[in-house]
Amino acid sequence: MVEEEKKKDDTIPFYPDHIRTEFYVTLGVFVLILVVGLVGLLTPLGLGQPADPMVTPEHIKPEWYFLSLYQLLKFIPKTTGAVAPILALLLLLAWPFIDHKPDKTKQTYRNRLILSVTVLILLVGLTIWGELS
Amino acid sequence: MFRSRYSFYVLLLIGTITLGLLGLFSQHGRAFDDLPSEDKTPQPSYATDLNTLTSNILSTSDIPERTEIPAPDKDPCLHCHIQGEFSNIWTPFGRWFLFGSMGLFFIFGVYRSASVWKNKTPWKPILHRAAEWVDIRYELSEPLSKALNKPVPKYATRWFYCLGGITGFLFVVQGISGIMLAFYYNPTIEAAYSSILYIETQVSFGSAVRFIHHWSANGMILMCIAHMMRVFIMGAYKTPRELNWISGVLLLILTLAFGFTGYLLPWDQRAFWATTVGSEIAGSIPVIGELALVFLRVGWNVTGQTLSRFYALHILVLPIFTLILMALHFMMIRRQGVARPM
Repeated sequence: MVEEEKKKDDTIPFYPDHIRTEFYVTLGVFVLILVVGLVGLLTPLGLGQPADPMVTPEHIKPEWYFLSLYQLLKFIPKTTGAVAPILALLLLLAWPFIDHKPDKTKQTYRNRLILSVTVLILLVGLTIWGELS
Repeated sequence: MFRSRYSFYVLLLIGTITLGLLGLFSQHGRAFDDLPSEDKTPQPSYATDLNTLTSNILSTSDIPERTEIPAPDKDPCLHCHIQGEFSNIWTPFGRWFLFGSMGLFFIFGVYRSASVWKNKTPWKPILHRAAEWVDIRYELSEPLSKALNKPVPKYATRWFYCLGGITGFLFVVQGISGIMLAFYYNPTIEAAYSSILYIETQVSFGSAVRFIHHWSANGMILMCIAHMMRVFIMGAYKTPRELNWISGVLLLILTLAFGFTGYLLPWDQRAFWATTVGSEIAGSIPVIGELALVFLRVGWNVTGQTLSRFYALHILVLPIFTLILMALHFMMIRRQGVARPM
């Protein structure tokens, strides 16, 4: 509630200014989705072979958002690989209580930027590796 | 004439019903199957002459023969047989729509004039009246204007503040396209694959809806990650917004769970084996692993039961939790305001 006690010229009214901005963003995404739908009309997503529990395909790959974990599991023991994402999520959940001091300088921004981009590059690298292998 | 407030409406109702009954029982527009049989015999008429004329000019064979149309002087419904007019459902529908809206417009004008004449006050727009009607009963205008006039800090209109909103909008898109798919999808091992094929090939715009559902799911995960990185880098999770961060992480988990459960539903080889491997990984968690595996697969193998369970999770359980958490997420933002950057 501290933000509300600012000078008038620092703020815009929620309606209509902010709503208008949000509306334009939503409209843009909506048009994008219509274009995606048009592409879908021309080139349907398609389906693979029907599921057959008797036939194991050679290359099994999960969706891209699980691919980094899948790739990681090829090199570390299965139990560790299964526990690692849970620990990562617990760390994410607990993060506000670990890093709780208020920011004093812009330096903290840069530190967190470097940290998050490093993690992201690691995950993206694993995903691309998994996609190619 | 207008002794009570409602007599005008009563008159209007009586008039409308009378007109409707007149229309219902009038001879106009009755099909000519009811006519005596001698009228049905094909005979040279204006219509057939015109047909031969047009076929001579265009020399095409795809103009249908219209020998059954009687001569104009014997036609019970002349305007039904205007040459070249489309005779599908849309023509009468369009006619009803046009004349109906004209009639409604006329009735509205009469009502408006009568109201001004009776009340001796200028007419207020119909939307104002509706708003007033609601406001008198529920007193919404004060809290609503308070909510709408809440100041938003200017920095919150920078582009990277819209990522969370886009995620929310994509969730709405997922909901709508998902409902559209659920109309035709069949969560049994016999019919799942073929119902997806049916959506892809037979249903109007089915392939477009499925394409949108697939790609906006991917977009939603991307936007989740982008939004999360923005919040993380700017330290927007710090006191007093810890619970907002936690609800956000839970929403990310739910989004990934949506992806995992939705991936099985087409029941093709990729879906089946991805789920088999995925639940196997869940099964290798120490202590609770086997329980998780049995819960996910409903047994030791991926079967039709698994498909049913994933479908129920995908369309019932996960959306409910997501909606609750999203409401909390938004209410907390609303209450605490967007975090102030340095």
